[in-house]
Amino acid sequence: MLRDLISDKTACFADGVHTELRAQTNLTRGVSMMNGNLTGNVRNENTGVSARVYADGVYGFSSTAEYSDEAVKAVLKAASENAAFMAAHAGKNKSMLPALPCGSVSTAYDLNDPEQRTYIDFAKALDAYIEAHCPKLLARVISVRADSMEKRIAVSNGCHSHSVMPRSYVYVFMTAATPEGKPVELYEVMGGYGTFDQNFKDVSDCYEAVDRLYLRILEKACGVYAEAGEKTVILGGILPGMLAHEAVGHTVEADLVLGGSVAGYNLNKQVASELVSLTDYAHTAFGSKVPLPIYVDDEGTKAEDALIIEKGILRGYMNNRESAEHFGVSPCGNARAYLFSDEPLIRMRNTCILPGTSKLEEMIASVEDGYYFLDTNNGQADTTGEFMFGVTGGYEIKNGKLGRPILDTTISGVAFEMLKTVDMVSDEVVWASSGMCGKKQPMPVGMGGPALRCKVTVGGK
Amino acid sequence: MEQLKNTAKTALKALASVGAEKAKCDVGYSITHEFNVDGGEFSLFRTLFDKHLVLSAIREGKKGTVRQNRYDEETVKALAKSCLETAESAVPDEAWDVAPAAEPRNFVYGALSSDNEKLFARCKELMQDVKERHPKILMEQMIVTHKEVRSVHANSNGVLYGEHCGYYEVSLMYSSHEGEKASSFFGSGFTVYDLDRPFMECGSVAKDFADVEKQIETSSVEGKFEGVMLLPPSALSSFLGYLLSNFAGDAALLQGTSPWKDALGQSVADTSITLSASPLDDRIVCGERITDDGFLAENYDIIRDGVLRQFMLSLYVSNKTGNKRALNGSYSLVMKEGERSLDEIVAGIERGIVVGRFSGGNPSSNGDFSGVAKNSFLIEKGKVTKALSETMISGNLGDMLKHVTGISRERVADGSTVLPYAAFGGITVSGK
Repeated sequence: MLRDLISDKTACFADGVHTELRAQTNLTRGVSMMNGNLTGNVRNENTGVSARVYADGVYGFSSTAEYSDEAVKAVLKAASENAAFMAAHAGKNKSMLPALPCGSVSTAYDLNDPEQRTYIDFAKALDAYIEAHCPKLLARVISVRADSMEKRIAVSNGCHSHSVMPRSYVYVFMTAATPEGKPVELYEVMGGYGTFDQNFKDVSDCYEAVDRLYLRILEKACGVYAEAGEKTVILGGILPGMLAHEAVGHTVEADLVLGGSVAGYNLNKQVASELVSLTDYAHTAFGSKVPLPIYVDDEGTKAEDALIIEKGILRGYMNNRESAEHFGVSPCGNARAYLFSDEPLIRMRNTCILPGTSKLEEMIASVEDGYYFLDTNNGQADTTGEFMFGVTGGYEIKNGKLGRPILDTTISGVAFEMLKTVDMVSDEVVWASSGMCGKKQPMPVGMGGPALRCKVTVGGK
Repeated sequence: MEQLKNTAKTALKALASVGAEKAKCDVGYSITHEFNVDGGEFSLFRTLFDKHLVLSAIREGKKGTVRQNRYDEETVKALAKSCLETAESAVPDEAWDVAPAAEPRNFVYGALSSDNEKLFARCKELMQDVKERHPKILMEQMIVTHKEVRSVHANSNGVLYGEHCGYYEVSLMYSSHEGEKASSFFGSGFTVYDLDRPFMECGSVAKDFADVEKQIETSSVEGKFEGVMLLPPSALSSFLGYLLSNFAGDAALLQGTSPWKDALGQSVADTSITLSASPLDDRIVCGERITDDGFLAENYDIIRDGVLRQFMLSLYVSNKTGNKRALNGSYSLVMKEGERSLDEIVAGIERGIVVGRFSGGNPSSNGDFSGVAKNSFLIEKGKVTKALSETMISGNLGDMLKHVTGISRERVADGSTVLPYAAFGGITVSGK
């Protein structure tokens, strides 16, 4: 565990300014196996301390890879000097941020850190299974990854926090050839919150998912291109979560709202059908722990759920302390930093469209001519709300029945227009947490949602 | 630098003492100064002091790598032990290796220290220039950095290289606004060794601002057509990145999915295409000097006059596949200029699209791509007409290179690449 060298340094905080001090360790363990070749075998540790000082409407920040009493004092001094430089050159005549009481919160515990052999042996065993049971593959890749963040935070509002966030995943990528010999791909992710030994007891637990993936890649190899144009579709799998995160979530991050995003003009307006509600959850949703729970953010704000869309009406943004003050609301704990050397930015945590009442089967049965999209390999969105998702797997729907599998395509739309076309919402939420959100810094995030029936533009061929 | 070299030697000794047969060490530290603008206002000044130590060991053909961001004596010893433990768990593979012995070299270049007052003044000047010359532009984020890096690469064959460099990097994200109407966001960036020129004059910044200001009023194309896609240098860089990764990179060759796997020495592109990875080009800022495998970097042609000359392979995949290793590991792409001007190329396009930014799914390994044409304009009868939104494009990366309709005389050097405008036929463009 990270030693506590910061709690007693609050005595060094300057009066009249907001100060944050954070010590942090990020661990990454990774193994990659490509067609049986071990191409990646890495253990990475990143530890250090940083300080951030807010004065006159601007921030000074400093970090160092050292973690000692002297290093803590040095970053406090450097951050104060940087804040003074900015105040002198670009000060905004702003008063100090309000002190929001948070107290002491500790959710840290000792993480088991398995030896590298554990990851390699797992990858080897899974690779052997795939080689033996999936003979028609052109290529196979297995990636085993575990990462964790441990943070100690002391803030001038009196907050002291100590937290850990472990994740671990196994990714299986399969490539097969079309009858014309062109390669097509699909992948599956297993795992979630927790250390590797907690999430993966036995390699055989993955066999069912691997078998399912193999059947789907063989289907896909005989797939057809989707037809271009505006279509009625069922977005299933992790696509609704991607929609919640990319197409809506980013536009309602308050820093992007201040940067001119479309959400700035739509507060308290209808932006989706009445069937759509969306919340950025802190640690608990629907009575269970969310994929990546956050209890205190990196500005020392107690984490609470951020209501974004309620029955189709845009109700709020995600804020840090400064933007919350700007908009006259309370922050919900969305300020997060990835490494010790990163400053907190407004980030999502577990962004989810709330479930409805429809059954997936009846949703598919209701589509005369459209698609059921399931898999994605990436998604991007604009501050205008225009979004694009790469779709790597799915099926035609003809007369209410699933038809031929589809080859890779792209879907797009404008979030606040497309969400108004949602006319059925399933009763089951699918969560994902294996990805990294990119916004100056990477960040682990959770995203989820139920299947949605809606209209999107399909890229086709 | 001497301290870093001593640390590298200590690390290699420690690795040998625990059983490494071959080993390499990268060690270094960096100092970063960074100014940020958010939502059109200065927001942050940060200073970062960071370190890195990366050890790789090979024993009986088994390789392991460990990284940590400190390198005190105790850490070096512990990390060497951990490195061997990591390697011993691995699968034996004779393809792993390190670079052979070579003469020691030191590289010192660039802006070794940050002039923070001048850097801030250049930032302020850009904000003022934008306000005066492009009043519709809102700077969503500006990140301006000076980075100084000292590093040493050493290996068990006696390689010992030192590098001390510094540079300024500017990254801009912005959009244009008129009332509640807004353009898509766009990003510009460049890297330089000095602060002699206003930022507005660097890379393609001035043209990018002017283009984005014209993208507030947009419409989608009607229906679907097959036409020409004209890529400005920054978008060309993205497409080339996808292409080279899927067709010429390590993973594609090792998995055998590259459509070019048997095409070495054969025509893969129009004869107007000559593309090199050239980190030592004078216009590339802080280009790679030492490869990850421990070789001195050299420029090389990937495609010359349309013929595939070289894959972009690491030493490991080179040994695995029997193909030559790449002479550098960079994506410092330099494309030979064409004979016609950009205006002449546009004038020759009957129907097409200028794609400022591609927002698409990762292209398939077979090269098929589809996505949204962001920050784009329609070209009709030789003229750039209206700005577009909700317009999709699709095609194939390999086919694109064979259907080149124009490479411009003008090239943009942004410190990372030197690329022209390029036009490709056979692209499907579809509206809403």
